[in-house]
Amino acid sequence: MKKYITIIAIFILTCPVFTYAQDISQLAAQCAANAGDVMYLKDFVVKLEEGVPGGAPPVARFALLLSKGVVYRFSVCSAPNSEGEAVLQLFDMNTMMGSTYNSTTGTEYTRIDFKCQKTGVYHVFISFKEGKAGEGVGIMSYVKKL
Amino acid sequence: MPKAIVYLFVALAFAATSCKSGGKGQDESIEIPDSVLNEGLEISEEVMQNIVQNISSPVEMASLIKELGVPYSNKYISSTDRVGNLTTSFQQSMNLGVYAADLGYLNMYNKTSAVVDYLTAIKTLADGIKVGQFFDFTTLKRLATNSKNLDSLMQISVQSFNQMDKYLHSNKRSNLSALMVTGVWIEGLYLGTQVYKITPSKKLAERIGDQKLTLEQLMLVLEKYTQDKQYEKLLVELRTLKDLFKDVTIRYEKGEPQMIEEDGMLTIVQNDISIIEITPEQLTSIIEATEIVRNRLISF
Repeated sequence: MKKYITIIAIFILTCPVFTYAQDISQLAAQCAANAGDVMYLKDFVVKLEEGVPGGAPPVARFALLLSKGVVYRFSVCSAPNSEGEAVLQLFDMNTMMGSTYNSTTGTEYTRIDFKCQKTGVYHVFISFKEGKAGEGVGIMSYVKKL
Repeated sequence: MPKAIVYLFVALAFAATSCKSGGKGQDESIEIPDSVLNEGLEISEEVMQNIVQNISSPVEMASLIKELGVPYSNKYISSTDRVGNLTTSFQQSMNLGVYAADLGYLNMYNKTSAVVDYLTAIKTLADGIKVGQFFDFTTLKRLATNSKNLDSLMQISVQSFNQMDKYLHSNKRSNLSALMVTGVWIEGLYLGTQVYKITPSKKLAERIGDQKLTLEQLMLVLEKYTQDKQYEKLLVELRTLKDLFKDVTIRYEKGEPQMIEEDGMLTIVQNDISIIEITPEQLTSIIEATEIVRNRLISF
């Protein structure tokens, strides 16, 4: 009897997972479409919990190999139900190359284009403003050769 | 009472399946769970986060070749006639990557008639390793028949590969994902080197030399699976190439990044520059070895 109940519970719990996967995949497709006249390369799906007060805001990190002579476009979209607003930052080692949000001036950028001149491993960080919880997706696209 | 529970179970199973079928082009056949297949080796979440993505892309080499004005040739791509002979998950994953690179090249040159053959080959191989549900064959085939839809075709096919890749990683089958990436990379390099033989250019020579760094990253990924003899054999092949790339010099010039704001967009120009020095002799050796290694790998 217990076995049957467990199996039924698994099926009931699986359904929302599929719905979530569809929603996030639609968000990725929408975000990629908004990136402009470019070629989609990668998406980075992020779901983060709220940060601890006084602590560093939670960040999702992705390592990427970028090639010399290519212009890459990075854009980020928050899910409609996301509490926080997503911010994408691009790092070369410890140097931040650019961000979709400048916290000093409060300026937001719809997207950032990166003219890569050095092949290597770079990192994309995605977090949510003020360390809030949130869901979102970052998109990397191919713009053109330099 | 137990019978009633069985009926309820069947009904709920049906409901759960209906819930899933909202996705486009889902495969209707029964999938064997990956936990059952469990062909791969588990990698911890921490290690997973550090895995470098975008090691090879079906877009970047093909795009460079197109931008150099090199005419299309079907001599550079792998024939789809071999698909029926690819029966192991190792062969299927590797060649899935190879055909993905070829598909990128065909898309770039708007070769819609050939695209359908490659989509069919990819679908067969994806089904073989139980990731066919992420390949929306019906939509892709429809898009391929209309040259106005080529951007969408490119986007959906790249998205499908990314989904397959994510699924393999999350189901303890990262070893197969590594093979797909290897397939994309070796075919991209083969494409670039074959084009260089006929139409040499400085940009392409640089791009070939630059693969030294990509190969190092790729080998780091593959080295996680050396318990499997086939992966060791694959690494032996790649080491042949690594030895030839060893003498390619890459030096760096430091510079501060430049930021340009325009229309709500930020453009960053990197002024740290890598300079790739590759001699004609090194290029010749790499071109010859790439052809041998690629032909061996696709028939592993």
